[in-house]
Parts: sequence; structure tokens; C-alpha cells
Amino acid sequence: MKKVISLLLISVMLFSTTSCGKKADESASKSDKEGTETQAEKSGKLTIWAWDPNFNVAIMNEAKTRYQKDNPKVEIEVVDLAKADLEQKLHTNLASGVKEGLPDIVLIEDYNAQKFLKSYPGAFADLTNKINYKDFADYKVSLMTLDGKTYGVPFDSGVAGLFYRTDYLEQAGYKPEDLNNITWDKFIEIGKKVKEKTGKAMIGIDPNDGGFIRIMLQSAGQWYFDKDGNPNLANNAVLKEALKVFKTIYNSGIAKVTNGWDEGCKAFNSGDVASVISGVWMTGSIKAEASQSGKWRVAPIPRLNIEGSVNASNLGGSSWYVLDSSKNKDVAIDFLNSIYAKDNDFYQKILVSNGAVGTYIPAQSGSAYSQPDEFFSGQKVYSDFSEWMKKIPPINYGQYTYEADSAIFALMPDIFSNKLSVDDALKKAEDQLKNQIK
Amino acid sequence: MAEVTKSNSFEKTQNRYGWFFISFALILIVIFLLYPIVYSFYLSTTETKGMVQKFVGFSNYARLFKDPMFIKALKNTFIFLIIQVPIMLFLSLLLATILNDKSIKFKGIFRTGIFLPAVTSLVAYTILFKMMFNSGADGMVNKALMSMHIIKEPIQWLLDPFWSKVTVMLALTWRWTGYNMIFFLSAMQNIPDELYEAAEIDGANKAHQFWYITVPMLKPTIVFTTVTSTIGTLQLFDEPMNLSTGGPSGTTTGPGNSLLTLSVYIYNLCFKYTPKFGYAAAVSYVIVIIAAILTVIEFKVAGDNNESK
Repeated sequence: MKKVISLLLISVMLFSTTSCGKKADESASKSDKEGTETQAEKSGKLTIWAWDPNFNVAIMNEAKTRYQKDNPKVEIEVVDLAKADLEQKLHTNLASGVKEGLPDIVLIEDYNAQKFLKSYPGAFADLTNKINYKDFADYKVSLMTLDGKTYGVPFDSGVAGLFYRTDYLEQAGYKPEDLNNITWDKFIEIGKKVKEKTGKAMIGIDPNDGGFIRIMLQSAGQWYFDKDGNPNLANNAVLKEALKVFKTIYNSGIAKVTNGWDEGCKAFNSGDVASVISGVWMTGSIKAEASQSGKWRVAPIPRLNIEGSVNASNLGGSSWYVLDSSKNKDVAIDFLNSIYAKDNDFYQKILVSNGAVGTYIPAQSGSAYSQPDEFFSGQKVYSDFSEWMKKIPPINYGQYTYEADSAIFALMPDIFSNKLSVDDALKKAEDQLKNQIK
Repeated sequence: MAEVTKSNSFEKTQNRYGWFFISFALILIVIFLLYPIVYSFYLSTTETKGMVQKFVGFSNYARLFKDPMFIKALKNTFIFLIIQVPIMLFLSLLLATILNDKSIKFKGIFRTGIFLPAVTSLVAYTILFKMMFNSGADGMVNKALMSMHIIKEPIQWLLDPFWSKVTVMLALTWRWTGYNMIFFLSAMQNIPDELYEAAEIDGANKAHQFWYITVPMLKPTIVFTTVTSTIGTLQLFDEPMNLSTGGPSGTTTGPGNSLLTLSVYIYNLCFKYTPKFGYAAAVSYVIVIIAAILTVIEFKVAGDNNESK
């Protein structure tokens, strides 16, 4: 008898494995059943999903206040979710075909744009003729375009820069001009000098993070995939060069190895590293350490020693999408259009209070962009960033960026330790990736 | 004759009530347990990319064998299973034996102390471990080991494929040893003292008593804890996910995907990559099949001699 009972118990436990994947559905179906139908005088309720309360959510709340001034009848709720949670909810809801739990507007990371557009055809509203895309940076529009239709409203830019400590570099004998438009080889050379003279690492590196590789790839107008979306790893000269640079930085001793976001921020906030290469959105985290004011500057990112590579690239960034199933679709589009595609003053405001660089070109001649920043030794950093933004090579990220990232970085420990050559590793990664995305 | 009909109809009424009372539970089980089980099996025979779905039979299962990522996840899961589970169970058995000794004082405090980790939230304790096992020289564990001169250089706990596995195993052992110990402790209450007394008279020392009395008498409990731990390890998710850099949105799960377990792979397939719910369902059925096979083996190895009880 005892045995029968324990067998029963065990079989229940066994099967709970299969059912646990379903849990997410239940939590995701918490819905708001509000939302009215009249569209003439712009009323109704908009629900918006976004992540990062200090950045995206705060900015959306600013947009909400502005829109409600003219449209007091529109109710807007901005829901703050963790990025992974937001994506999980969106996937389960869209895949289940239940429309009720979905928001009206959702924030999607640019690397994931094609994934959502291709996986859920018809789920997002086609905005091709609703938004004037000529006002936005090219690279941003191309990543949200599928089969000639453009879906999102471009939001923040991830234009990359080389942030550096002027005091450390001065000690090593470098002036700000010496960092303008350099190559990665030069960057490593400078790093060695900095290490020698100051004892500080040149840069923080996270061996599990694909950020550097993505910055290098886009600076040469390349990606993990070719123009038709086929994996392009094994014969991708740019990627090979990028991996070699990454490996050299890791093994050359000029880098402080960090693990995860918090440790990465700690490395520069505590003064352990002389530079940071990241998207413009990193500005806020760098400025968080007020005692370092006046010690930083920003230069263009290094370029690869390869033809076609420029000193401008992008890391991250995201955009707003309207769900096609939204009951207040037109209000949602009008909201995004009148704030994000027209309101110049809005972009000045979010630049000052959140350090957000939009991809809306007309805003970049505004007053806030030309202000010198004391923290960056009086440099007009934002006008520099918007200059670099125009030079970012437009590419199609495709829908499998994270699969590719994972395939390559799974082999990274072997690349670092020379167990695998870069060529062999990329061959292996390409096979793996092809299998993964079949 | 009339008596019989009466008792029959009485039984019938009773049965009717019985079915009525359990029907609520049954309906809930069917909706929330049976339906998902059946549906996920159906799902595992389809190829999905988000909303786009088509029936492909068993090709998802065939594809598993050629998927290096799946094989890596399977390998990692088995490494955890083969190394961590035996160590943990032996430790809990040992602790239970020590705490069952009548001469030990403050037993309650020790028992509570060792059991306490089992009530902490999985995510909370994992985050704490991540902080303690910081790879730099300022991480708590590294600092302690260095100041005791056990190591000279800081260990790359979460940055090295080997050490990150060790960290997960340490975390798992901390979290679950006390939990399993409770099963052993309660089972030990059923071992009659006379056995030990007789053994002592026959000249058996503590080690003999442990191996020849305690362990055989605890066999059903050992099988039970082994099976539950096996299933738990096959479903391992929270620890590797949270200990790895960047959590769910990190590039890999642990350095070089060294912490990628089957459950994490299922998560990645559904939410991190282009969603392939069909393929993910196939992976989850593989876990079921493996768990079933292992359970049968564990029962067989343990033998059937407790059938008579």
C-alpha cells in the first residue's frame, strides 16, 4: 500500500513538470476591461507596458502629462514591469490568442523588434502612413520595418560613446585629441600605458555580455546575419575581427573583469577603470557618482581595423509599438504621434531630466542639446552624441540576435583559453545557430 | 431480501454523495492538471514560431538529438544530479544521525537552524549567494578564504564554467540538506532502541550501527528522498537563472552556458528566443521521461523487500 501511494505521489510530481510551463498564462491574463469606444473627442483608457522606472516609465509619464493637457478625457496608465517579465507576459498573451490582457502600447527592445513582428503577424498596428518616419534616424526606422511596412514609433537611441576619465589619461600622457577617432588597436595600446602609469584598468569587461561585440559589428554595418537573414558567423570577417579584439582586451590585462550590471557600474563609479564604452543611456549611471564631476569626457567609439568600419555605433535602445487589438488604437496612435513625433520641447525635457537621447532628428537642434555639461568638463556631449547618431550604419538585426549571442558566448571560455581558435569557434557556433533557428 | 435492497440503496446514496463531494476537486484536477498535460503533449508535436503553428508529428523529438544546446543542458543537469544529490543526501543522513543522538543538548535549536534554509525563498537566497560569491577580491567568500590564507588569488566563482557549477551545488546543498534531514529524523523515530542496544551488547561501534542498522532501516525514506531530489534537480531553474550574469536577459546562462539546465532551456525557448512553444513542450516531456526512467531505476535498485509493510 505504502508503495502504491508513494508511486502515485511521484507520478503527480512528475507531471507537474509539464504543467508548470502553463503558470505564466494565468498571471498574464489579468486584464483591464475598461476602455470606451468613442474616438471623435479622444477619450478612453490607454494601458502602457514599459520597464525601467527611472527611464522609460518616467519618460512615458512625462508624455502622459503633456497629452492629457489637451486631451483630458484620455486616461493613461503606465505599468512598470521588469524587462524579462514584460516580454514573458507579451509572449504568452500573444501566443495564446487572448486579447484581453494585452496593453494598448508596449515598449520593445530594438534587438527584439523583428522577433515580435515576425512571430505574431497582425498583432501590431501598421503605422506606415500615420507617422512621419523621415524625422527619425534611419537605422532606427529600418529595424522596425517588415515587408515594407513600418510598425513602431522610434524612441531612444543607443548611440555609443567612449566615456573616459581625463585625469587618468592625463597621467598616462594622453590629451583628449588623442582619443578622437581611434582604432581598437590604438585603444588597447592606450590602455596598456594607462595601466602602467596609473595602475588602473582601462575598461571593465563582462566576459558573458555581448555588448562590445554588437557595438563593433554595427560600427562596420554588419551583424550576425546577412541581408537575407541567414546566419553569417563562420565567414564574417568583421565578426572575426571583433572577437579577436574582445579576446585581446580580455587577455591583455588592461581590463577589469566584472560580472553583471551592478559590478559593471561599480567599476566606474568607484574609479577602478579609466573608460566605459556603452550606449548614451549609460550617462545617467556615470553621472550618479557626483564626486567625479569634471573628470569625465566622451569621445567617439574606436573603430575596427577593417574597411567600412566607422567611429559610430549603437547599443540597445527601444521603441513603442501599438497593439492592433487595442480598443483605443486610434487614440494610442494619436498619443504617440503628437508627443513622440511632434513635440520638440518634450525631447528637450527628457534629455535634461532623464538623459534620454531621442531619435527624433528635429529635436536635436533644440536648446538642451547644445548645453555644455559640467560633469563632462564642459563638453557639449549631447550635440556630439547626436552627430555620431547620424553616422550609425543602418542594419537589420533580424529576429535571432539573442540566439546568435548565446551560440557565440557559449564558446567564449574556450576562445579565451585558446582551446578553440576564433575560426573554429565561429564554425561551431554557426552550426549550432542554424540548428537553433530551424 | 428487503434488507439487502435497503442497504444497497443506502450505499448508492452514500456513493452519490461521495462522488458529489469529490467532484469539485476532480473537475479542478482535470482542468488544471490533466488538460495541460494532454495539451502540452499535443503542443510538443507541433512546430510553433509565436502564433504560427503546424503539426509535425515527432520531429521535435528527433531534432532534440541534434541540438547541441539541448545536449549541453542535459549534460549540465546530469552533472548536478550525479554529484550534488548523493553528497546532499549523505550529509542530511549524517546530520540526522547526529541530531538523533540522545546525549546531544539543545537539539531543537540545531534542528531548527539546519532546517531554516528550507523556508527561505529560492530567489532571495540565490541573490544572497550571488553577492557572497562575488568573483572579485572583495567578495565575501573570497575575502574570507584569502584572509585565512587558503587561497592566494580570488576564485572566479561565477565567471569560470567549473566554479560556477560548484557555486550552484553549494547553494543547493545549503538550501535542501535540512529539508531532507527532517525526513530522516522523523523516520529514525520509528527505529526501535532495542536494535541499537542489542548491537552495542554484541560489540558494534557507532559506525557499524550506522551502516548496519540506521541505513537499512531508513531504506524507504532514502528511496523517497532520492526520488524527490532527482525530480527536483531535473527541474532545476531558480538557482542557475539567478546566479548567472544578467539573469533572464543575460547573453548566456552562466559562463559558456555552464549553468544552462533543461528548465532554463525551456524558458529560453519560450521567452528569450523567438518563441518555440512546441519545441519547448518536447523538452519538458523529455524531463518527464527521464524522471520516470530514473524513478523506476531507483525503485529497482532499492529492492522490493519493503512490500510486506
